[in-house]
Amino acid sequence: MLTFDYHYAMSSPRRRIASMPKFCSPGRVAALALTGAAAWLSACSSSVVVQSTFPTPLVEPLPLRMGVIMDDDLVNYIHAEDVPQQSTWTIDLGDANVALLEPLFESMFLETRVVEGLPASGMGLDGVLHPALEKFEFDVPIGERDEFVEVWMQYKLTLYEPDGTMVAEWPVSGYGKAELRGKREEAVHRAAVVAMREVGASISTKFAAQPQVSYWLEEKTNGATLSAGQASN
Amino acid sequence: MVRRYPPDKHRTDLARRRLWLGLLAAPLLASCGTTSRMEPYKQTDTVIRDGEHVVILARKHHATHEAEEEFVQCIAEDLAKGPTGLEVYDSKEFEDKMYPWFEPSMAPLSTDDLSKLLEQPGVLEQVRDTGVRYVVWLDGSTDRVSSGGGITCAAGVGGAGCMGLAWWEDDARYDATIWDLERLEAAGTIHADVKGRSVMPAIIVPLPFIARPQAKACRGLTDQIKQFLTTPEGYGAGPDLG
Repeated sequence: MLTFDYHYAMSSPRRRIASMPKFCSPGRVAALALTGAAAWLSACSSSVVVQSTFPTPLVEPLPLRMGVIMDDDLVNYIHAEDVPQQSTWTIDLGDANVALLEPLFESMFLETRVVEGLPASGMGLDGVLHPALEKFEFDVPIGERDEFVEVWMQYKLTLYEPDGTMVAEWPVSGYGKAELRGKREEAVHRAAVVAMREVGASISTKFAAQPQVSYWLEEKTNGATLSAGQASN
Repeated sequence: MVRRYPPDKHRTDLARRRLWLGLLAAPLLASCGTTSRMEPYKQTDTVIRDGEHVVILARKHHATHEAEEEFVQCIAEDLAKGPTGLEVYDSKEFEDKMYPWFEPSMAPLSTDDLSKLLEQPGVLEQVRDTGVRYVVWLDGSTDRVSSGGGITCAAGVGGAGCMGLAWWEDDARYDATIWDLERLEAAGTIHADVKGRSVMPAIIVPLPFIARPQAKACRGLTDQIKQFLTTPEGYGAGPDLG
């Protein structure tokens, strides 16, 4: 006799038990084994490609011509992690990085231009920004009662003079959570988008207020060396 | 002429079983249900005019809980429904248009913060462009506060069946805080607390009697918000939902 307890079933991860047919041919067994192995492997890996459009920030642009370095590490960023008791996760954030940062910088500065590297002198730029995604962490709950998937990420923005001299380094972090409804991958996707929007919010509203950036901006303004200002005259 | 049939033993047994089941189910059904409390507090005489919109937003700065997306959606859809429906602006679209000022870490927590926010270049113009006059902030969640009992199921060659009793209680507690973006003030608050107890007896087959406090809180809050925004004076306690 088979028995099962309601509370055990409600509190433990769901398991499926399939009964074996009584008479199986070797071919059928092999096919079943292959199907089972494929299902097991797919159940042990989770893949998320974060794709989203991000709104343009409602901020006043700084009177600067800014070069932006979008290197391969950022554009092709993939986070891979083997989560104990769960599966191997691969989270592709490359496209989302581009979708977030390009329109963000375009709205923050009077003019932006993608540059390959440093130095970038002679291009009429006031500075060069190099964004990098330094840390990415996420948590997917195991228990039935945990409700949220959480994502935390940290970018590093480095500001350079066009000649390559470093002006400032600024770590910017973002946190996002999403209700665990439906597939776990979808919840991770939603939480990652929330975290990225948070990063965009911080960059667009707090960049100019960073002490080193603020001092640099003041110097540029006092020295009247802003390329954008000169160009408009 | 009336013909009398001898009492059928099978029928008598069935009737007896039904009586027993009825006697058993009556207290169970009585214990299953919801109780609710609505506490509206309106501190101005403001009412919504034609062409003015309302937007429903969830407070998201808590680490552990926030109003569920489906609850926010439920309030927004119900407010817009029917002949007395209000003009509700889509939450996502509002957050996108006002980006980044209504993101979880940036959203104003008080009307003083709101005043400062509207001083930012372009923000007031964008709010006017949306036509939104009222922001309804939803704060709270539905949580399981207690549960007990148990059901055991068994299956064998002769058949299968379950026996036992399980129950659980959910509490839906929400606050709706209404801001007037024209007057730059908090117009008032509505507090909703709906408790629901669900029962699942199992006599061979489990019979779920499920209470839905979240759905009831949605209906109650929607009615209250409608009254709040359309009644200039004398707005008091809402309908008794219990």
